[in-house]
Amino acid sequence: MRNPANLVGGVGPGQPISLLESVNIHFSYENGYKVFENINISVGQDKFVGIVGPSGIGKSTLLRIMGGFLAPDSGATYLMGKKITKPTPKVVFVHQSIITFPWMTALENVMLSPRSMKVPQSEAEIVAMKALEDVGLQGFEELYPKEMSGGMRQRVAIARALAANPMVLLMDEPFSHLDELTAEGLRQDIYNILFRVDTPLKGVVLVSHNLTEVLELADEIYILNNIPATVVGKLVVDIPRPRSIRNPKFSEYLDILYTKLSPPGGKKNE
Amino acid sequence: MNEDLIIFFSVLATAGRVLGLVLLSIVTGWLLSYGAIKGKIFENIFISISEVFESVPVISFFPVVLILFITRIGGSLGVELAADFLVFTAVVWNIWIAEYQAFKTIPREMVEVGENYRLGFFSILRNIYIPFSIPRIVANLFPSISDGFFYITVSEVFTIGITTYQTFGIGTEMQALISAGNTNGILLAFVFLALVIMIIIYFLRTFSKHAVAKYTVDTDTPVIRRGRFSFKNTTRRISATAATPFTRLSKYYRRRNPSMKNEMFEPERAGVNYSRYILATIGLVILAIILYSSTLLVLSVSAGEWSNLLALTPQIIIGLLYDYSRVAVVIAVTFVISITLGYYLAVNSRAESVGVPLIQVLTAFPAPVYFPFVYIAFYPDFHSVFGPLTSEFFVIALAFISTFYYLFYSFWMGVKAMPSEYQELMKNLNMGFFSKMRRVIIPSTFPYLIAGISSTINSTWGGLMIGEYWPSIYGSRTLEVSNGLMRFIDINTRSGNLGAAAWASFVFGIVVVVFSIFFTRRMMDLARKRYVAEEGVFAA
Repeated sequence: MRNPANLVGGVGPGQPISLLESVNIHFSYENGYKVFENINISVGQDKFVGIVGPSGIGKSTLLRIMGGFLAPDSGATYLMGKKITKPTPKVVFVHQSIITFPWMTALENVMLSPRSMKVPQSEAEIVAMKALEDVGLQGFEELYPKEMSGGMRQRVAIARALAANPMVLLMDEPFSHLDELTAEGLRQDIYNILFRVDTPLKGVVLVSHNLTEVLELADEIYILNNIPATVVGKLVVDIPRPRSIRNPKFSEYLDILYTKLSPPGGKKNE
Repeated sequence: MNEDLIIFFSVLATAGRVLGLVLLSIVTGWLLSYGAIKGKIFENIFISISEVFESVPVISFFPVVLILFITRIGGSLGVELAADFLVFTAVVWNIWIAEYQAFKTIPREMVEVGENYRLGFFSILRNIYIPFSIPRIVANLFPSISDGFFYITVSEVFTIGITTYQTFGIGTEMQALISAGNTNGILLAFVFLALVIMIIIYFLRTFSKHAVAKYTVDTDTPVIRRGRFSFKNTTRRISATAATPFTRLSKYYRRRNPSMKNEMFEPERAGVNYSRYILATIGLVILAIILYSSTLLVLSVSAGEWSNLLALTPQIIIGLLYDYSRVAVVIAVTFVISITLGYYLAVNSRAESVGVPLIQVLTAFPAPVYFPFVYIAFYPDFHSVFGPLTSEFFVIALAFISTFYYLFYSFWMGVKAMPSEYQELMKNLNMGFFSKMRRVIIPSTFPYLIAGISSTINSTWGGLMIGEYWPSIYGSRTLEVSNGLMRFIDINTRSGNLGAAAWASFVFGIVVVVFSIFFTRRMMDLARKRYVAEEGVFAA
């Protein structure tokens, strides 16, 4: 099997200022279980970054640390060189479980973001309508989440995230609760939606255990493994878009990921 | 016997009475609930009666209790049974309803396992239904025990006309100590009572944790998985240990239709299902007894007495209006305190670890026991502020103390049960306090708020009943207000005019049931239809 030159063994700090950068992250649960050791992740401008790892390795926890929802034991996350100490609308989190508010229509759900930023009602409505249009939900503004399919609800959640005008989007397995056909459709749309020229969005971090999904979307993939988890590799995906799983390079990358994700043989977690 | 020992044993007697009646409620609830899920007619009768009595404040039972137990049974047994019945009606309804809801919402697959192995009545109850109901029972124990203790002073010692009836317990003992001006004894009683309540709360909290860890199924409480962010699990755990999880219950309720037959399984055996007919007969007999007793009661009242009672009705309605105004004030104050303190405690784990057990102990400590001392200590200060409205202030304060924890717990529980993703989203969007409250927290806790407001209204009457006319609250001092239905019932009960008191209770009961049907249930329906936070989280 070919080992492409773009597989990097590890990532260190001290590189030029990234859009979003987590440096030397160490983290333990309250019971003392050590989750991460010296994690370094960098998200460059206009990059779609994937994070993969075995189930239960702590991918979602890492995403929460990057968003400022959890404080690491040591290390820090920087947005454009500025330390993130608490959650900010500049880095918006899209949850694994699709989160909408059942008492609000699709439009009201999306308006929550601009309204929270004190944008006047009429202007917030325009922003929300635009975000709904971007995710393909034009005409569905007045529906309540209960009246929508899972895929439509996830589009609402993404529209709400976009309506906050974030610089970075953190997506925690956003397609895992959708059926394969819906997920595939949304995956095909998502890259174009996120990186439209008229959005201030400059980067996306996607966490997933679905390797095909990550390869389909990401420019760079960080591979987590071992206990406690460390970055065991970084893969720069060099396949033109739109990507097809039938592309031979796709299979090669997939093989590399599978190899790197073999069962953890790391240190014993005391 | 040594006086200290008498005080100690009286505390134990009261605690034993409350705990014993809670236990009785639990055991009878299992049997009745099982009967309810097995027979439609029995279910309809059981649930209708429970729902009506749950919405009628416990205190309105009092004249009925007195008539039944004192005049019919009499003696010390009659007094003891009257006290027990009053405490029983304070604790039983939400435990019964919780058990019924648990039995009704048990996953079909679990029942099918029992059916598959042909488990008998006791076996299926012991191995499947009872364990499944434990978390919901535990969830209702904190308010039930608080309620049980609250009524000890009025249930253990009461006066009709010139006769005072009393049964052994700290309520009676405290009254005697106050009359004798025995300060040391009073202090000792407080210390013993506080100790016993703290021990009960401690065991209850410990048992809650155990119950949640052992008896919740993973759809209620997700198992903590390695490498997962733990906040969500923690909140769900806590939510399952607190008050009634209405949101989840209503969701289960609508999802499952136990009467629906599943054609994939073995068809019902041919022949007559005797248990269904037996249960239906029991239900109909209970209904017939209630109707028969009511008819007898109505017929036993002379036409002249009826016209006297009807003439009293306008006075009763005016008194009720006064009392609803007091209830409105209590609800408003409670609401503001609950949504500020409740929210603060729900999102600050350090403050919560101290604040919630403290509030649980304080609320279980019966307000009528210590209120006379608060009244006498602060009367001059408050009189200088409130002037002629001082008594009004104290009555509302007593009602507030006696009831605020319902709404507080409900709201606190609602916030704890909110999907953790909502909390994260609010943080992510940097939402301000009022924006969070208006857009997310109050809507997502709406079912809990309605349940809490409903319980608060119901138990506010208990505080008003005690406070609106409280002769000899301390020495020769009497706390009373000029107008109010509870005062009317109090005075007529004490003067031995039980007919007027019972009629006022009946009118009151009807108003409360109508209020429940037209307001509480509508609000609850709205909450179930629109404000179920879990429905906003899509996880296939």
